[in-house]
Order: sequence, then structure tokens, then C-alpha cells
Amino acid sequence: MSEVIDVRGVTRRFGSVSALDDVSFEVEENTICGLLGRNGAGKTTVMQLLTAQDFVTTGSISVFGENPVENPRVLDRVCFIKESQRYPDDFTARHVFRSAPWFFRGWDAAFAESLIADFRLPVDRRIKKLSRGQLSAVGVIVGLASRAPLTFFDEPYLGLDAVARHLFYDRLLEDYAEHPRTVVLSTHLIDEVSNLLEHVLVLDEGRLVMDLPAEEARASATTVTGAATAVEQFVAGMPVMHRDSLGGLLSVVVGPLNSESRDAARAQGLEISPVSLQQLVIRTTDAPAREFEASA
Amino acid sequence: MTTIGVTIPRATRSSTLDRILAVVRLHFINPKGFIWLPLAIMAFIFLVNYLVWLIIFATVTAPAEQADVRQGLQYSGASLFIFVYMMVVAVQAINLTFPFAQGYGVTRRDFALGSAVAFVTLSALFSILWTALSLLEDATGGWGLGGSMFTAAYFSDGPWFERFFVYLAAFLFFVFIGAATAAAYVRWKAMGMYVFFAALTVAIVAAGAIITLTGSWPAVGEWLAASWPVGIALWSLVPTLASAALGYLILRRATPRS
Repeated sequence: MSEVIDVRGVTRRFGSVSALDDVSFEVEENTICGLLGRNGAGKTTVMQLLTAQDFVTTGSISVFGENPVENPRVLDRVCFIKESQRYPDDFTARHVFRSAPWFFRGWDAAFAESLIADFRLPVDRRIKKLSRGQLSAVGVIVGLASRAPLTFFDEPYLGLDAVARHLFYDRLLEDYAEHPRTVVLSTHLIDEVSNLLEHVLVLDEGRLVMDLPAEEARASATTVTGAATAVEQFVAGMPVMHRDSLGGLLSVVVGPLNSESRDAARAQGLEISPVSLQQLVIRTTDAPAREFEASA
Repeated sequence: MTTIGVTIPRATRSSTLDRILAVVRLHFINPKGFIWLPLAIMAFIFLVNYLVWLIIFATVTAPAEQADVRQGLQYSGASLFIFVYMMVVAVQAINLTFPFAQGYGVTRRDFALGSAVAFVTLSALFSILWTALSLLEDATGGWGLGGSMFTAAYFSDGPWFERFFVYLAAFLFFVFIGAATAAAYVRWKAMGMYVFFAALTVAIVAAGAIITLTGSWPAVGEWLAASWPVGIALWSLVPTLASAALGYLILRRATPRS
């Protein structure tokens, strides 16, 4: 296995604020990796550092085995689509799609055309006049049709409706299957993308709090539901990430359970269910969850 | 490293020239704002000037007075707007195209070189056109009326290559000053502008003070008169080149922010 991204002990400070604090992780080639976390967690900063738009304070970053800063060998193979992307004055979407092939060798014009039709994007309208969703569609189309070996999507679909978002997921998966590449996706709509992701990175206040294959992440927590007393008895001694009670019923989120524990729980009439990725991220980036992280 | 990193196959690497040309093309992809619009404005200004000349010469009929008017028309500022306009074009090119190019994975070096090529090309195109128009203005005796727009007193009335050089130096000066200012804005935002203009003000006042205190104004005046316009155009290349170099140095550590 080989990694495309290798981040070692990276800290990025803005004045006295640490946007990133000693973050280390790797991303493997040809995977779709989710970069999740709350607003201000440092997701955009990570992507800006990986694409050499910003500079680390300390630590090292390697992309395709090299430092990306001012490195055309790396940056030639990278596409960074961000929600807040600015465009030259008076540009239309057509200008964007016409110039994209000069910068992305893998650009597929036919694919771009079909995406333009799919998203019903008015290509001759000035970008300034596009709706929020149409603006996002421009970025999404560039990100997909560029077929860059390493593509970053930072909150790519602000303002896109549910239909358009699913169109994005579908096209991404289809094209990814035919043209494998590495995709790093940051989003708030975690449940929507949870089936897409093969790896999950979670940032919270500049620190990396989760770095797991998506399957493992999902298995890293379990919900135990049942009569309050029985649940309390069962989870006694386990670190509890979250609890919800309704009348005599109690629902508790705990760490991973082995099959014996699961059987034992079922024998006591308790219900065992998986935790959604979104739930998991919320629990891990919640203040009380710190204790859980520390003990896990 | 414990695992084998992915390396870049040689075949996918692009040449420096390809990448710089891509940036040049990116600047020129939408020429409406910096070629067609300024030309349309220029045409409009010319038309209005022409009408004014017609009105003047319809009312001023005595030959002596007409000669006097022609002398005055030499100091027309009608074509000066283009230089400020091109400065704004350069500001926009850096301020908006830089963040865009960064999203396309363009290095700051390639962006700076490509932008410089684009700016020089644009300046040369306008200089050729302005030279041609100034020669035409001479040939037609000031568009048949003795008017001045492209042969105004500030420019050269020498041979074509001298005129071209003076125009080119003026365009380059404004474009690269604009580009360096925009680079400071991209890197430091509003704070960069406060510091930049404060420093510029101090520098101008200091220069004024030195000239005044040493009683050198007459010398400065003589020098200006003696070296106008070709010598001044040559000297302007110093701040122009300094701005170009400074602009690149500033941009080298700039981060596109939204």
C-alpha cells in the first residue's frame, strides 16, 4: 500500500491561535477520504496546506512523496475545489471550463459537458449572477472532470439541492470506479456521504481526534437501548459517550462491543444498534466526549 | 517512511513553458474587460474631443487665435485615462486571478512569470496601437482640426520607435505598480494597504523635503525638461522592474483567502 499524503506533526498558527495543532495522518492512494469536523476545526486549513496555498508553522507535509510548496510536479496533479473559490471578474462558467484543460491534463471535456447538462448549469451567465447552488455546481464539475490524481473538495455543495447532491455522489462514485484517484472530501452532511467514504479523519479545534477506516469508525461505537436499569447495569464500568433517556427507556452510546458482550446484552433484552457516522462525529467532537477519547 | 510513497511518473510532468503559457492564456481568456472596453471608452472620449474641437474652431475664427488654441490643445489629458485603467486591470488580474489559479494548482512562480508575460504583451499591444494613432494624428494634421490626443505634450513627438518606447514604458510602469500593490493586498489585505500607502506618503514627503532643503527644485526641473520624454521613460524602468520583483517576492508567501 502506498500513501499519497503524509502529514507529520503539522501545526499552523495564526498569531496566537493554533488552527492546527500537531496533526499527523496519511491518506492512501485511490481512496475516498472524509475530512470531518465542526466549523473552524481546521479542515480548510489542512487542505490549503496540502495544496500549498498556505504554509505550515512547524511539521512536514509530503504529497506524492514531495513537499508541495511551489512544486509543479505535485501541484500539476492536484485539484482543489472549495466552497469559497473566487473567480476572475466577469468570468462565465464557460471561461472556467475552457481554461481548465490547460491546467488539468486529465480533463475530460465530454464528461464536463454531460455534467453541465446534469446540473443544468447556465454556462454563459456571469459567475457573479449564478445562484449559490449553481456556483457550487461549477466547482463540482471542475473537480470531477479534471480527473486530477488528487482531488480536494472542501464543502463542495453549499446551496445544491438534494437531487444535485445525489447527482454529485453518483457521478463521483461512477467516475471513481472507472478512473481511480484519491479524493479528500470535507462536508457537514456526514450521513449523506458516509457510504462514499473509505476512510475518516475527524478534526476538532485543530487536533486530529479520529483517523480510522470508515468501517472501523462505524464499529467503534455502539448504541445500547432498553429498560433503564438493565442498560445501566450493562454499561457499568464502560466509558459512556452519550446517553438519552425517555421515560423508563435508556439509550447509551458506548465503545465497540465484542460478540460475547453483544450476546450478553441481547440475552438481557437489550437492543444493540450501530451508530451512524454523523452521530459518531458529533459525539467525538462534543465537549464531554473528550474523556472518551482520552480513555479509548 | 514505513510504506512506499507514490511517485510521479515522468510522462505526466509538464514543462515550465507550458505552465507559464497556460497562465498567460488564462489572463487573456476574457479580453472584454481589458481590451474591448478600454478601446470603446477611448473611442467615446475621442468622439467627444472631436466634437469639442469642432465647436471651438467654429467659434474661434481668427487665425492667430486658432493657433493659440492648437497650442493649448497640446495639453490634452484625454488619453491618460488608459494608464490608470490598465493599472486597475493589473490589480484585478492579481487580486482575482491569483486565488483562481491557486485552485488550479499553479505555483506562485509560474503565476508571477505568466502574469508578467501577459502584462508586457498587453502593454506592447496598446503601445503599438497608440503609436499608430499618434502617427495618424500627425499625418492628418490633428484629425483635420489640429487636435491633440495621442501626440499630447507629455508624449514623444519623435520617430515611431521613440514614441513606442515612451508609451511602452508608461504602460509597464502603471501595470507593474498596480500588480505590486495588488500583491501586497492579496498577502496582507487591508493592513497591507494601510502600511503601503503610509510608506508611499512618507517617501513622497521625504523626497520633497530633501529636494526643498537642498534647494534642488531648479535642478530637478532642468533634469526633467532635459530628459523628457525618453530619458524619463528610461528611468521609469527602474521603479517598474523593482515593482515586478517586489510583487513576486510578496506573492511568494501569499495565501488566497476568501
